[in-house]
Amino acid sequence: MKSLFGKAALATTSAALLLAGTAFNAEARIAGTVGTVNAATQTQTFNLVVSSDYITTPDGGTVTIWGYGEVGKPMQYPGPTLKVRAGYHVVVNLTNNLPGANGLTTPMMPVSMIFPGQTGVTATGGSAGLMTQESNGPADTVSYSFTAGQPGTYMYQSGTRPGLQVDMGLVGALLVYPSTENPDFPTKSYDNADASFDREYMFMMTEMDPKIHQLVEFGLINQINNTLTTPTLWFLNGRNGPDTLFPDFASWLTHQPYSALTRMHPGEKVLMRMIGAGREQHPFHPHGNNYTVIARDGRMLKTPASATIDLAFSDYTFDVTPGTTFDAIFTWTGQGLNWDMFGHVAGDGSSCIPDAQGLHSVATDPNYKEPCADHLKPLPVVMPENLSLGFGGFWRGSPFIGALGALPPGEGGLNLNGGVVHIWHSHAEKELTNNDIYPGGILTMLIIEPYGVNIP
Amino acid sequence: MNRIKTSASSAAVLLALLGASGGAGAVPFTQCPGDIYMPEVINGMPTGNLVNGTDSVPDPFLRDLAAVGQPVIGPNPDYKPGVKCMHLAAGDGFVNMADGYLQYMFGFSDMTGTDSSQAMVNGLLAAHSPAPTIELEQGQEFYLNLTNVGMTNRPDLSDPHTVHFHGFPQAMDTFDGVPDTSISINMGSTLTYYYSIVEPGTYMYHCHVEATEHMQMGMLGNLYVHAAQDQSVAAQPVKDCAGATYNHVAGQRYAYNDCDGTTRYDVEFPLQLISFDSRFHDSSMNVQPLPFANMKDNYPMINGRGYPDTAATGPLPAGAAQVENGGIDSQVMNALVTATVGQRVLLRISNLSVTNHYTVRVLGLPMEVIGRGARQSRGPAAAGLVFAASNTAAYGNAGANLAYKTSHVSLAPGEGYDVIVDTTGATAGTYFLYTTNLNYLSNDTEDFGGMMTEIHLNP
Repeated sequence: MKSLFGKAALATTSAALLLAGTAFNAEARIAGTVGTVNAATQTQTFNLVVSSDYITTPDGGTVTIWGYGEVGKPMQYPGPTLKVRAGYHVVVNLTNNLPGANGLTTPMMPVSMIFPGQTGVTATGGSAGLMTQESNGPADTVSYSFTAGQPGTYMYQSGTRPGLQVDMGLVGALLVYPSTENPDFPTKSYDNADASFDREYMFMMTEMDPKIHQLVEFGLINQINNTLTTPTLWFLNGRNGPDTLFPDFASWLTHQPYSALTRMHPGEKVLMRMIGAGREQHPFHPHGNNYTVIARDGRMLKTPASATIDLAFSDYTFDVTPGTTFDAIFTWTGQGLNWDMFGHVAGDGSSCIPDAQGLHSVATDPNYKEPCADHLKPLPVVMPENLSLGFGGFWRGSPFIGALGALPPGEGGLNLNGGVVHIWHSHAEKELTNNDIYPGGILTMLIIEPYGVNIP
Repeated sequence: MNRIKTSASSAAVLLALLGASGGAGAVPFTQCPGDIYMPEVINGMPTGNLVNGTDSVPDPFLRDLAAVGQPVIGPNPDYKPGVKCMHLAAGDGFVNMADGYLQYMFGFSDMTGTDSSQAMVNGLLAAHSPAPTIELEQGQEFYLNLTNVGMTNRPDLSDPHTVHFHGFPQAMDTFDGVPDTSISINMGSTLTYYYSIVEPGTYMYHCHVEATEHMQMGMLGNLYVHAAQDQSVAAQPVKDCAGATYNHVAGQRYAYNDCDGTTRYDVEFPLQLISFDSRFHDSSMNVQPLPFANMKDNYPMINGRGYPDTAATGPLPAGAAQVENGGIDSQVMNALVTATVGQRVLLRISNLSVTNHYTVRVLGLPMEVIGRGARQSRGPAAAGLVFAASNTAAYGNAGANLAYKTSHVSLAPGEGYDVIVDTTGATAGTYFLYTTNLNYLSNDTEDFGGMMTEIHLNP
């Protein structure tokens, strides 16, 4: 294969790649790791360790978890997002560094990895387990390898006592990019023009019952009954709302590195990689517009002979079931509002010159991509006076995009650029809580920033 | 309310004056272009007079209120045929569960047609289950006035409220009703939402303030939009479809602008699946900590009633709720489906439970899923995932038809499905629509009831 991951990526370490990416492109792509890339042999190698540590929850608590982590880096929840290129040989070396139970030096139980959706996975080394080879200690490394056959959104989980270990945190995402794509700067998720996007984001949904984690911490694993678990914490990318809004690798969330904040400009195409990585169903509801579901479990929704993703469908809530992944494309232009979303008035010097889609075509204007059919149309209603209103932290103080209106002291403040903000959340609203405290859980925000606001 | 001699004054100015003269929230400031007149009611009795008012009903004509008979003196210049308005009050109240249990709830009531000056009074203890149905036509401009009347039984609770139009396409946060991203309306005040209705389909609405609580408490309602294709001319190819060969039949309606009649129906019924956890509701009424994670809904319902109340026509026998509500019947909607043999029945099914997935089945009649997520079940019309806008030519004829026949449909919370039940050739009689999550065929400890209703198929 001639194409490489990029000049800088060739034969570099994952650490260097990660740093390079973080420096200038932290949110436009999905945070993760490409491992150690050997372009000559078309191999990506990941060295992972399972260990125990704590995550924090927004209600002020901490929870003991087990997590995968890259060697030399903090363990994390979810595990590192493995970003590989289709056709590459993937090697994952896994070592068990869990603490021993009751003073024993060997880990309290073995751990492993399975790769749903991949075929031809081989496991060597380690110890024999039921579903796959397992690691049973720091000196017992198991090596999994497979060829990433088809692009798509996948997950990996523990294959050892998964009812317990996945709740404990042993789960992560595996993203396979088309062979022509650079996993660090991808432009499409499948070998099909319909799968192209401007930005991609991951939404991995999980849940936890803290009681299980307490029993594990106290060494009372035998008292756990997985059939009776009652989750009280729900996660997006390993964080509970509103922690989901903090940036990737926020320093105070050592073991929860992945943000779920979504940002875009009007008219851009956002790829949503939704992953049901826990044990419950989570109906994910994007405010702002329908999304178009284009793939399930790493396969495009298309008939074999079609050149396009012809079985894609539009929906406003889609149920992400345990063990499945769904890819969807979301876009937003504000077309059809019947009022000027910029609040333009005649004589203000603004213009709207429609492109083929009817959106303003002058890229240097702040109202680039404005729906021209609504240009200069006044807001049809009078907004109530401030005393009558409650204000959200993301409220601009103005009905118009890009405008920041006056708000009472202490109100607003989270929407620095006057973007249009929509909540994206599980529509099983029970899951919008953290240990009985609302709001939280599977909840994040989409910010549609006006053009002129740089989104890294 | 003053009677006014008609002038051509702008309704907007008039409304602004009314709002201003009302003082701080005394009279809800509703906005509805063309809304000038309404029937006068004194002490609950209609006088037969028209007065100027703000009842959220547009008036096509100006009248001389001072003259005998209040004759029409001309068209109302502010009247626009495509404008629809509603006025909802948000507050609390009581409902009767099918087993007689008295249930406290939060909810909406319909103040449309009531002078806004009365809404703060009439909206008290008037929470309805389900919330008043919002039925719209594609192409309409919709002004939705929301007045927060406060919680009579929870004077400690000064919660604002919102309306979230669930599934609205290309939504602006300004009118999306999410308190975290925009604004919510405080007690005693009124917020007017504006929507240009561009896409037909089955949506839903609910309050989004402290969504887990306010939705569990019952602020949930049906919302759907009729397709512009309904306006087609009989015996002519259906409207706005280039090259369409399907001829419109008078009286026929369409769930979507399908261009080929595949979503045609004769009668439609919204069926909203919801469920209450009475322990949560009781905790709320008694100002106790709310058990969010331990929610277990014990009253599964369709359109705010459990079976057999779902299939009862007319008002339910007055129970404890009417006493608590001061006589207000808060469950005016049923879930009975009635049709005659040969009709195509459109079921607009939505799930607004905050806890449970529900699967529902129609026993003995075929179901066909023809839409979901307020879109016809069609693949993209062209490369680039382009779904032709539903008001453009050849919408429905493009893209793979993804409709399918089934005997059940499964809905996650927040999902909506359009199902057509074709009764051609069926035997007249009573059929049942019910959840196949069989433990939810219960009204709490009554183990036969719950999420079930009847389909009365008449010869």
